[in-house]
Amino acid sequence: MSTTTQAEVVPMAGEAASSGRAARRQALGSWMLLAPGVIWMTLCLVLPMLMMIYVSFWTQHTFSIDSTLTLDSWEAFFSTPTYLDSLLTTVRLWFITLALILAIGYPVAVFIGLFVRNKTLQTSLLVLCVVPFWTSFLIRVVAWRPMLGTEGAVNIILLKLGLIQQPIEALLFTQYSVVIGMVQIYVVFMVGPVAFMVSRIDRSLIEAARDLGASTARIFFTIILPLSLPGIVVGSIFVSVMVLGEFATPSALSGGKVNLLGNIIVTQVGSLKWAFASVCGVILTVLMAVTVVALLRIVNLRREI
Amino acid sequence: MERQPILRGLLTGWTALFLVFLYSPMVVLAILSFQSGPEGGPQFPIEHWSIYWYRQLFNLVPASSVAPLPLGGALLRSLALALTTMVVSTVLGTMTAQAFRRHFRGSGVVFYLVVLGMMVPGVLVGLGMALTANYVGIDRTWWGTVFLVHVVYTYPFSFLVMLAIFNRFDRSVEEAAWSLGVSPVTTFRRITFPLIFPGVLSSMLFAFTLSYDEFPRTLFASGGDLTLPLAIYGTFSVEIHPNLFAFGVLTTLFSFALLAVYATLMTLSVRRARRVAVQEEIA
Amino acid sequence: MLEIASVTKRYGGQAALDGISLSVGEGAYLSLLGPSGSGKSTLLRVLAGYETPDAGQVTLDGRNLNAVPAHERGIGFVSQGFALFPHLSVFDNVAFGLRYHAHKPVRDSAETRRRVMETLEMVGLADYVQREIQQLSGGQKQRVALARTLVVRPRLCLLDEPLGALDANLRQRMTVELRRIHAALGITFFHVTGNEMEALAMGDRVVVLDQGRILQVDAPDTVYNRPSSIAVARFLNRYNLFSGRADGQGGIATAAGTVAAPRLCEQRQHAENVDFCIRIDKIRVQPEGEALAEDEAALMATYIASEFSGAIITHLFRLADERVVEVENHLSHRRPTEYDAGRRYSLVWPRDEGLVFPAQAVTREATARAAA
Repeated sequence: MSTTTQAEVVPMAGEAASSGRAARRQALGSWMLLAPGVIWMTLCLVLPMLMMIYVSFWTQHTFSIDSTLTLDSWEAFFSTPTYLDSLLTTVRLWFITLALILAIGYPVAVFIGLFVRNKTLQTSLLVLCVVPFWTSFLIRVVAWRPMLGTEGAVNIILLKLGLIQQPIEALLFTQYSVVIGMVQIYVVFMVGPVAFMVSRIDRSLIEAARDLGASTARIFFTIILPLSLPGIVVGSIFVSVMVLGEFATPSALSGGKVNLLGNIIVTQVGSLKWAFASVCGVILTVLMAVTVVALLRIVNLRREI
Repeated sequence: MERQPILRGLLTGWTALFLVFLYSPMVVLAILSFQSGPEGGPQFPIEHWSIYWYRQLFNLVPASSVAPLPLGGALLRSLALALTTMVVSTVLGTMTAQAFRRHFRGSGVVFYLVVLGMMVPGVLVGLGMALTANYVGIDRTWWGTVFLVHVVYTYPFSFLVMLAIFNRFDRSVEEAAWSLGVSPVTTFRRITFPLIFPGVLSSMLFAFTLSYDEFPRTLFASGGDLTLPLAIYGTFSVEIHPNLFAFGVLTTLFSFALLAVYATLMTLSVRRARRVAVQEEIA
Repeated sequence: MLEIASVTKRYGGQAALDGISLSVGEGAYLSLLGPSGSGKSTLLRVLAGYETPDAGQVTLDGRNLNAVPAHERGIGFVSQGFALFPHLSVFDNVAFGLRYHAHKPVRDSAETRRRVMETLEMVGLADYVQREIQQLSGGQKQRVALARTLVVRPRLCLLDEPLGALDANLRQRMTVELRRIHAALGITFFHVTGNEMEALAMGDRVVVLDQGRILQVDAPDTVYNRPSSIAVARFLNRYNLFSGRADGQGGIATAAGTVAAPRLCEQRQHAENVDFCIRIDKIRVQPEGEALAEDEAALMATYIASEFSGAIITHLFRLADERVVEVENHLSHRRPTEYDAGRRYSLVWPRDEGLVFPAQAVTREATARAAA
């Protein structure tokens, strides 16, 4: 072994070499483990996203594109009211959906995580809230059709109860049905993380605050809300990612009346307008990036795992 | 706070309403799947109860004006895709999480690179993959481009699950195995893997389900052959019939069966430890 | 056999090991004593190959180990928490190293069984072979960990605080067991502990480590009787420590009064700062005013209280500077004397039993403590 001889002649150099070699072997081991994943994500995620940005500057012809760079598609987007409307609709429905999900899901999560003391019951309730995540997304969308139509279950029940005289027509094929559908489908992403964070709160902390005479509101704002914040952030990221990329729920439940940016992309790709679809894609990406970065400033995701 | 009866009552009621909201569409869908056929429509009232639409799914009824769902090939493709994605994603996730047990330069960048896969809306990943495939000149297929983007989606889930498992893993048992002269590879197979198995199981469940059900990424990245979600989506644009509901019931039952298998395996893998603990208590 | 040459390991600028050099002979039983944070566990991890030293090298039988991964070293490691494989039975735990050895796995199951049983018998656990790990008590787990390591016959066996998790009774028994096993196998043992009595009882040689440096390497009785520095004396917990100043006339001026220095040290320069210590069982108590012999040193102190612990009684006295000193008497030697609380006595010892060190050792330590 050459290193051994070297070590005898020049001890310091030999030591450094063998220590360095061990350190290098460790680093090499780490990179061998990481390489497949990193390469996969670079080629199949980062590269495609860059490609989308690149193509958004290509020249769009009626049924084809070529790589001559131009701002035409960008100008077209910002000068067409239909598309600007769609951008506004996307943002509006996203905010409404997120707010409703928080309002509906948060109390449920707090109830399950904090008020249910029986561990078995708590787990069962949590499972019950999260199980829909494992069932088919499209089936859950389509399940709203027989619920909301003029002859749908909701109207039938309301009529039978005498709460209304005429079936409500606004329930299906409007933006309401889209929001209702999205809230029901994505609320599990909020209930799960928040309930998990709340259930980790040390109950003795609340007992102590109570003994010190803190009011319920005060306990909520000083203990429960801050400690559940990481759950809210993680839930909001999930919901935002899902809602901003939506197109299936609007197309199934709005009858073509609600067009989110996702729907525009699908339509454009359908008519081979790749450059224009890419412009919408980039705008959606920016919207998403701003949201995620802002939310991650509140909570360090890595530390919560 | 938990002791306030009014608050408690309100929240109990709220949660009950929430569960009704969450499950009623599926219940209605299940009821309507027993609509009479082929003339019964996708809404109340039920003319009379029948399993006509279930039989129609399996082509057991005479042809009618309602076309059967194009499921056969799509189902097989989706299953093959989900199984492959499940294996590849779990292997990748475990490898990456294993590397994260040691500190290395650039770990933050790699972490967010991987997590990005679940943070980018699916429609964008699909669009980007379609553009890239067109540019490079490769065909878009369910076993090629779609498989690639499915792993992009499920790999972050596998990675996070395995990372959480490794964070609670006592590495001194591995060190002990090495000091006995057992190579790191054998140590991983004989010691580490059995101990992280619950995580592997969860990762597999996530990856399988997410891939089996994946839709927005698949839409653009696939070629002519449909996967199951694409086949369902295709029926949205035309008039829907109760056969879709019958299919919904079956696929939901399949999801539940999958969860049941998962729960059983999980129970089996922790039961040993619990049985032992109980014996210790008695002794 | 094992040579450790100027091994240094830093964690973020802080040196956990600072130029450690040590050589260990074939079949030795070495105990390594150090307070927590002294770097003793780091040294074991470097030897086992879990950590790479930043500088220096470790050689086993002439082979440089620096680039050799842990599983190729032939060095066994029994960790503090035992690190048993929770999913395997006692038998499978012990058989693990035989079955899956990288180079010379034992494939014959009868041979595996024979060697596992032989080792389990040696540690007295032959009856527990089919048990699950979770069914074992702490002491039994410790024995399984030991058996698991010894069954593969390592060249060197590292024991990281092996008795730390055990209760006092068990600790006593395991001490005897460990020595017996060591004698039976002839494997070199390297036993790390934070307990000074355990270190003295177990080792052929005792290594005292502090802040990543070796303070003393000697036979246990030498370490006990002649600690090489005031820091070692402090770890032994058996010495009353003073700091003072040589008066140039064979005395040392401390805050509690002047004492006669050992005659060997009389030539110390006037006004030199020194550390001084006297072992607690060398001190005799006599009433105030009684005469001293020629070769005796003394300090005046007020009696506070006594603590009984079996055959030993420890008396506590307060010196003029308010510091408390201990005096230990073995009850088997003489009847305990009753002292009156609050009364002054003279604490007397043969002056040559005192130990004097130049003061920098303690100041270095004091500075380091203040910094930490």
